[in-house]
Amino acid sequence: MLSPKRTKYRKAFKGRIHGVARSGATLAFGDFGLKALEPERVTARQIEAARRAMTRHMKRAGRVWIRVYPDLPVSMKPAEVRMGSGKGAPEFWACRVKPGRIMFEIGGVGAPIAREAFALAAAKLPIKTKFVARMGAGEA
Amino acid sequence: MSDIVTIAATRRDRAGKGVARATRRAGLVPAVIYGDKQTPVGIAVEPKELVRMMHRPGFLTHRLTLDVEGTKYDVLPRDVQLDVVTDRPLHFDFLRLGPNSIITVDVPLHFRNDVASPGIKRGGVLNIVRHEITVRTRADHIPASFELDLTGLEIGDTIHLSAIVLPEGVRVVSREKDATIASIAPPTTVAAEATATSAAGGTAATATATSAAPGKAAAAGGKAAGGKAAAGKAAATPGKAAGGKK
Repeated sequence: MLSPKRTKYRKAFKGRIHGVARSGATLAFGDFGLKALEPERVTARQIEAARRAMTRHMKRAGRVWIRVYPDLPVSMKPAEVRMGSGKGAPEFWACRVKPGRIMFEIGGVGAPIAREAFALAAAKLPIKTKFVARMGAGEA
Repeated sequence: MSDIVTIAATRRDRAGKGVARATRRAGLVPAVIYGDKQTPVGIAVEPKELVRMMHRPGFLTHRLTLDVEGTKYDVLPRDVQLDVVTDRPLHFDFLRLGPNSIITVDVPLHFRNDVASPGIKRGGVLNIVRHEITVRTRADHIPASFELDLTGLEIGDTIHLSAIVLPEGVRVVSREKDATIASIAPPTTVAAEATATSAAGGTAATATATSAAPGKAAAAGGKAAGGKAAAGKAAATPGKAAGGKK
């Protein structure tokens, strides 16, 4: 799973996800991409599950790029603990995804395989997504 | 090149975001025609045909004729701004072409015969470094695309700019003399999966081994770190990974 090697601070504010993606909203590496349509926190586990689903479906062909990185530590309080007494312990890593963000890219395979791989990956994610293709690649 | 398509457009007298938004509300897309040392013309176009053309290969290398209320402009689509979520066009840029215009344009590259490449057959991955190359040419001789043949390429082989056969009157514009266009990389999927799995285990091990190290982790310890350790989860939790390295 993806996680930062070291961080400046152990815990982060919850934050809110406003607006649409300004960067990372166009295909940069591959021919096809999976674009987020909703704002949500995506965890390292979900990213890893999506990556595995894609690479297994593609059967060693092509290449996958992950365009999001979970660098937000999410903390949780243990069960049956009263409120207060400080912030909970960091439990997992996540990234804030805005609508329009290209989360994954695929290159080196045809559009039908890429579409199927992204459908499997999308099932592992907590948000609605859509398939995008490079302009002029014959897919929309 | 295929036949030059004619698109109808209406003139837009006023510029600015208010007018542009009003144009979009009316179902049209704001656009501009510029170049050829003449004043720019603001227009509004019907997006349906242009969107269809956009999804076909070579949209930015095919000339169009814009019929703006009776005045015809020979143009080349230069840029398309898309809505980041819906991918609907927000604005088109058209470059006006004169009779002897020499222009710089990005021409897409198409890679053919991947089945005839022994490297790709053995599991190699075609790593495309450049999806298009910039060329300088006369506006009436823009190549729709360049074809690159992958026949006979092994794992580790690279394709450079010099492999492209340029038509007469077309010159490549590149800072690098013989830039790499693509290469056949060794298969990475299985290796990456193995690395990812070992990395996950490795991180957990590192986090566990170094969590007792002095510094911020120890200072921050208290209930939070203790609670986590008591839970006995060996996964690379953010607290441990972050704290362990401090």
